[in-house]
Amino acid sequence: MNIGTGKCYLAWATDEKTREKGSSGGFVSAALAAALDKGVVERVLVLKKHDVFKGIPTVTSDPKEVLDCAGALHMTAINLAKYVDSDVRIALPAKPCDARGVIERAKRNQVNLDNVYMIGLNCAGTMHPVKARKMVKEVYNLDPNAVLSEEISKGKLILKTSEGEKSIKIDELERQGYGRRDACKYCDINVPKMTDLACGNWGVPRGRKATFVEVLTEKGREIFKNAVDAGYVECEPASDKSIEIREKIDQAMKKLAHEWHEKLFEPINKLSDSERLEYYINAFAGCTGCGACKKVCPVCPCGDDAKCTMTEFQSEVHRIRMFNMIRLLHLMDSCIGCGRCEDVCPAGIPLTMIHMRFTERVQKKLDYVPGIDMKKPPFFETELKEVQK
Amino acid sequence: MQAGGGVKEFVPKIVVFCCNWCSYAGADMAGVSRMQYPPNIRIIKVMCSGRIDPIFVLMSFMEGTDGVLVTGCHIGDCHYINGNYKTQNRFEILSEMMNELGLEKERLRLEWISATEGEKFANVVKEVVEQVKKLGPSPLKPVIE
Repeated sequence: MNIGTGKCYLAWATDEKTREKGSSGGFVSAALAAALDKGVVERVLVLKKHDVFKGIPTVTSDPKEVLDCAGALHMTAINLAKYVDSDVRIALPAKPCDARGVIERAKRNQVNLDNVYMIGLNCAGTMHPVKARKMVKEVYNLDPNAVLSEEISKGKLILKTSEGEKSIKIDELERQGYGRRDACKYCDINVPKMTDLACGNWGVPRGRKATFVEVLTEKGREIFKNAVDAGYVECEPASDKSIEIREKIDQAMKKLAHEWHEKLFEPINKLSDSERLEYYINAFAGCTGCGACKKVCPVCPCGDDAKCTMTEFQSEVHRIRMFNMIRLLHLMDSCIGCGRCEDVCPAGIPLTMIHMRFTERVQKKLDYVPGIDMKKPPFFETELKEVQK
Repeated sequence: MQAGGGVKEFVPKIVVFCCNWCSYAGADMAGVSRMQYPPNIRIIKVMCSGRIDPIFVLMSFMEGTDGVLVTGCHIGDCHYINGNYKTQNRFEILSEMMNELGLEKERLRLEWISATEGEKFANVVKEVVEQVKKLGPSPLKPVIE
């Protein structure tokens, strides 16, 4: 079949086992394995399942290992962008925030985008593993260690144990204070249009084990075509109805995200200026300066020897630590809201929400959305040659 | 303490960043021409306004200054071709940060002052001191017990 960029397909893995294991037809795993097998890429970065609450980012060159990793892990919170090493051609399955992280790193010369093949995954959000464990115990009344697999289908989170399965609506979980991470609740980028292939189960007809694939770039076409030619994947063109349904779900998720955004930001929005300052001082008061937020941040790529936050002294009497002020400043134009800082903060500061509050102002004012294209961040906008022209 | 045991008047401290080529010379000009301006400012000379990392401004506030004035050459006049374009870029983002933080935006000001504009320098300093006096001490002043 002739595969063209900009077109949509339904695709599934030919291998029975992968199809069963994958969350929607196993296309992503099969395509990654095929790319590795036929030498389109030299490495693949995957999330290796430890248990349902833990995935370990693994760089591998073994197609078998890639196929073993089939299946979604909704209860892990990892941003793969930090693990991309683009010295060799590498492919990775990328949620929108992974992909945006990779693009932001490419802008800062940490990643060579020519070598990175991103297979995008639709994402409606992930859960924090620690909270998810608590949720399994208290809402599902199950032993977290006994959960064998999980699946999200039709708005329900289904947990499977050896004794059977139990499903609860995600809306219900969120009403009880569990469910997705806050950062995911108000994230409105669900379809990864910035990657090479956008995959997901939105738009797949009921009862079919297949993945909806949109080919976005030439690189994506290369991966797709290779997978079909190598016999790992079968495909058919997606019907107009499928495309329409996918678009509808995307719009619905966007609307939901905006509602959450309003709900979560409202308490601070209504504060006056001086009250807001007081809020920030109090919020940051718990910071221990451990640096975990900086370490996991995909748009803060300078690494461990970065000197930017070394203005910190123990004797300081500052109302807000310089560490926090510097982090705020450096993310003013480029926070992608992936939520990793919030996840790892031992003091429980709602960091992502705070960063988003600051960054949204600049992004709106300067009409700059980070991680979507290679547009230069406003901080680096001025260059010598531009003025000399 | 004032004579007669009155209430201590608020004396603002303002940090002024001046570039070596224009605004510092402008401040010099103000001095040479014997123009009067309030003594509340502390001038920090840098080679170019493009050298001023927004961190310097944040640090000044955290250390207890009540206002910051950033000055540089006029756009197009930079000794290093485009240093002040960078300053402008950063200032835009920094002032947004101040807004969100809830610090009064009048405490931070950017002015282009050339080497001949001694009068402008004196006037700007007067205005800034006046304004900051109205606003009162910075809420970010460190609390020392």
